[in-house]
Amino acid sequence: MVKVRRISQRVLVATGAVAVLGSCATNAPQDTWQPKGPNAKMIDDLQQPVFAVAGIIGIIVSVVITYAMWRYRDRGQPIPEQTHGKPALEITLTVIPALILAVVGVFTFRVIFDLARTDDTELVINVTGQQWWWEYDYPVQNEWGITQPIISSGQLVMPAGTKVLLRETSRDVIHSYWIPALNGKRDAVPGRIHTLRLEADEPGIYAGQCTEFCGLSHANMRMEAVALSKEDFAKWIANQQAAYRAPAEGTLAKEGESVFLNQCVRCHQVDGLKRPDGTLAIAAPDENVWSGAAPNLTKLMTRNTFAGAMFDLLRDACRDDVWKAESAEFGAKYLAGVDEACLNVNDLRAWLRNAPEVKPMYANPALLADTNGKYRGMPNLGLSESDIDKLVAYLLTLK
Amino acid sequence: MAIIERPAPGSTVPALTPAPPAITPARTYGALRRPVATTGWKSWLFTVDHKKLGLMYGATALFFFIVGGLEAVLIRLQLAAPGGKVLNADLYNQMFTMHATTMVFLFVMPMAAGFANYFVPLQIGARDVAFPRINAFGFWCLLAGGIVVNLAWFLGGAADGGWFMYAPNSGPVFSPSHGVDFWTLGLQIAGIASLTGAINLIVTVLNMRAPGMTLMKMPIFTWMITVVQFLLLFAIPVITVALFLLTFQRSFGAQFFDVAAGADPLLWQHLFWIFGHPEVYVLILPSFGIISEVLPVFSRKPLFGYPFVVFSGAAIGFVGWGVWAHHMFASGLGPVSVAVFSLATMAIAVPTGVKIINWTLTMWGGKLVFTTAMKFAIGLVVLFTIGGLSGVTHSVAPSDTQQTDTYYIVAHFHYVLFGGAIFGIFSGFYYWWPKMFGKMLNERLGSWNFWLMVIGMNMTFGPMHILGLQGQPRRMYQWTEARAGEGFFNLAFWNLIASVGSLILTVGIGLFLINIVVTARSKVRAPLDPWNARSLEWMTSNPPKEHNFDSIPHVHHLDEFFHRKYEEDPTTHTMREVNGRGSAG
Repeated sequence: MVKVRRISQRVLVATGAVAVLGSCATNAPQDTWQPKGPNAKMIDDLQQPVFAVAGIIGIIVSVVITYAMWRYRDRGQPIPEQTHGKPALEITLTVIPALILAVVGVFTFRVIFDLARTDDTELVINVTGQQWWWEYDYPVQNEWGITQPIISSGQLVMPAGTKVLLRETSRDVIHSYWIPALNGKRDAVPGRIHTLRLEADEPGIYAGQCTEFCGLSHANMRMEAVALSKEDFAKWIANQQAAYRAPAEGTLAKEGESVFLNQCVRCHQVDGLKRPDGTLAIAAPDENVWSGAAPNLTKLMTRNTFAGAMFDLLRDACRDDVWKAESAEFGAKYLAGVDEACLNVNDLRAWLRNAPEVKPMYANPALLADTNGKYRGMPNLGLSESDIDKLVAYLLTLK
Repeated sequence: MAIIERPAPGSTVPALTPAPPAITPARTYGALRRPVATTGWKSWLFTVDHKKLGLMYGATALFFFIVGGLEAVLIRLQLAAPGGKVLNADLYNQMFTMHATTMVFLFVMPMAAGFANYFVPLQIGARDVAFPRINAFGFWCLLAGGIVVNLAWFLGGAADGGWFMYAPNSGPVFSPSHGVDFWTLGLQIAGIASLTGAINLIVTVLNMRAPGMTLMKMPIFTWMITVVQFLLLFAIPVITVALFLLTFQRSFGAQFFDVAAGADPLLWQHLFWIFGHPEVYVLILPSFGIISEVLPVFSRKPLFGYPFVVFSGAAIGFVGWGVWAHHMFASGLGPVSVAVFSLATMAIAVPTGVKIINWTLTMWGGKLVFTTAMKFAIGLVVLFTIGGLSGVTHSVAPSDTQQTDTYYIVAHFHYVLFGGAIFGIFSGFYYWWPKMFGKMLNERLGSWNFWLMVIGMNMTFGPMHILGLQGQPRRMYQWTEARAGEGFFNLAFWNLIASVGSLILTVGIGLFLINIVVTARSKVRAPLDPWNARSLEWMTSNPPKEHNFDSIPHVHHLDEFFHRKYEEDPTTHTMREVNGRGSAG
């Protein structure tokens, strides 16, 4: 029995050791031990020694207990003296962990305040969470060529090697913004603005996930942070601010534009889109959606994801091509956007056909009384297959 | 002179002085008629006996343990593979909410209340608790609360906001079913049990100890239970207020957490965790108490550093009030608050560490007997150490912002609450079963029970450390292959291992239920002092009579019962039996 116990101890110790070694392997895209920027690095430098010391203490305790179990098992020895403790030993063993923790505390203190700095910010991006997607809003910052606000969603695009400050809030419930490779998480709370520093060392895509339970599709509320070189970022900014290009008359896309105007524009804004009478089409999500917002689709095909980053706009092969690109080639590949050959048409059509079926949302018309008739998430629009053909063709022009 | 005589060594027959004839209480009349039945269902329904109520608490808790366990198994089946289809998103959200609610409020708390009810009066040599009727009232409140919370399953869906029910997601718009209404109402009712129980046990412990039992001669389990009752006394009012606010918000249009009305949703988080963190110690300290009884008994040594364990328990009881915001490191409290709570959390690790040191040193130099109760106790020490150490990594606030709300924290609190609280409870089952039922649980089945639980527990929750550090958030009804990664630490493999582990765990716990049946059918009576125990509850019959003790023992020592059985050999300092027959057992 004692022997089995010891083996299980060893298994425990081995598990701990394996966990410690985890930092060396290439793993899941949200690995918290693979920092790719100075903020995450700061956290990692702080936590690795803590994990190591905790692991060592765990091993020591396990070994001591295992030894005691073997050494003092009942072998017919007399009942020992009834000692009630040795205060000196007790105090020593209390002070040692207290001292270790005091040292950890000093470094922790420093990192907490360093990570809270906002005075060295180079670029501000407003991030707003709502069920179940993130809106990214780039306020006017002339030094970055942002001369009019840019509103995007699905992917946070930022320049690499730049101190970016996110200003987070929420339009409905609490969400949490987390890109593990770039920083820890920070909740987006309605009525409050919380800041989060982000900085990526290299161009690339960094995966994240909403980490505060936010209702039905919490699991599907993902995010991707895209870091571009400063030159590529300038190109991205310029394209985001480029004027709307209506599809040519007589094309399928042009028919899609009118489907969009009839159906989608009630919630989804496309900047510069005009109605047949020449007036600008202004979306009114505030009248139709509980959170008051729906993703701005102006440059949809410059993003690689849709539906709160739940689905990729790129087919798997094309997606891998971008995600796994060398950092020198990454920018060009990303800026190419989505074309017809690479479009993940199956997921996009399924989404247009019946969105609540592929992503759980409170979009049941029977329950709208609770929300004054407003939807939470995209409802089933009852589009015909030919409408969907037209819409897909139109959406492909949004880049 | 010993008032209760020591049993003849090796005897299996209780060698008690002949019991006086049972006294039936005189009849009284009116609405407050005194319960007189001693057998049959009325003896349970109308009882005010702390032992019967303790057993009823225990049975209720065990029932909810099975319910909460099945919910957990469904969760693990859903997550065994990517894109799980066992549950839909709505049902999954209800499942994890109710799993935690059930395990915290309807299993661990009432089970601890059951042990406390049964054993605190026995350990301090009292005939009952101070307010037996309030005690009965408390139990029925708990049962009613548990039923109300779970009724929602059949009336349009259970609560679905997670057990900490953050505003505004718990509001009427975001959680449109009535699950949350049942939840607030049920927990409010169950809270009455904790609050009345706390007052009752505090008064009992402070006023009804046997002659000679000073506070520092009080058994350690009773000490830990006392600390817990003080925590409850101050924590339950906070959650009561919070639940009222939520009820008013949902049902009567109040706007306590409504940003549009100028409120701050973080108010709920503060209220919840000001209750919720002391609650964590409410869950774990009773089990600390249990194993602090079991380890000395089966080491044949007193608890090492008894005063240190007492005062570290009390210190946890105080500092436990100053660490609630460590649940909110990612909430955006600002660096000053985060730094203060980070340091306070590190500070509370010290008294917790003291306990682990004391348990280890209790075994050191002892004469260890590996009964099932002892195995569970040692299991607690090791598993809780792992949970405690991962807790230290959480106390480092920047590190916590990477780990919180991932499976890493799920691993952490299951090592603390499963490896800690539940292993302690199982240790208590095996240790005190003969006292409660006069029969010993089968040790062979117990050994299987223990090993399957250890293996299942580590297989289920061990991999969750990896899953969390690999970035898998908690509370996701599905996980996707796109974020699973490759290589040794891929999410698919470790999710599967965790799910298989949960089935092993289920079998292990199933064996315990079988053991209950096997034991109940066995005809073998337990000896009076089967474990060579040390404290007063073993100085009366198994199970104790309604009045507990024929005459109240006078206490001269910590571990009074042991010192009535053994004396020190002046030359070797080892212990020998009082009648000089040498030192056996």
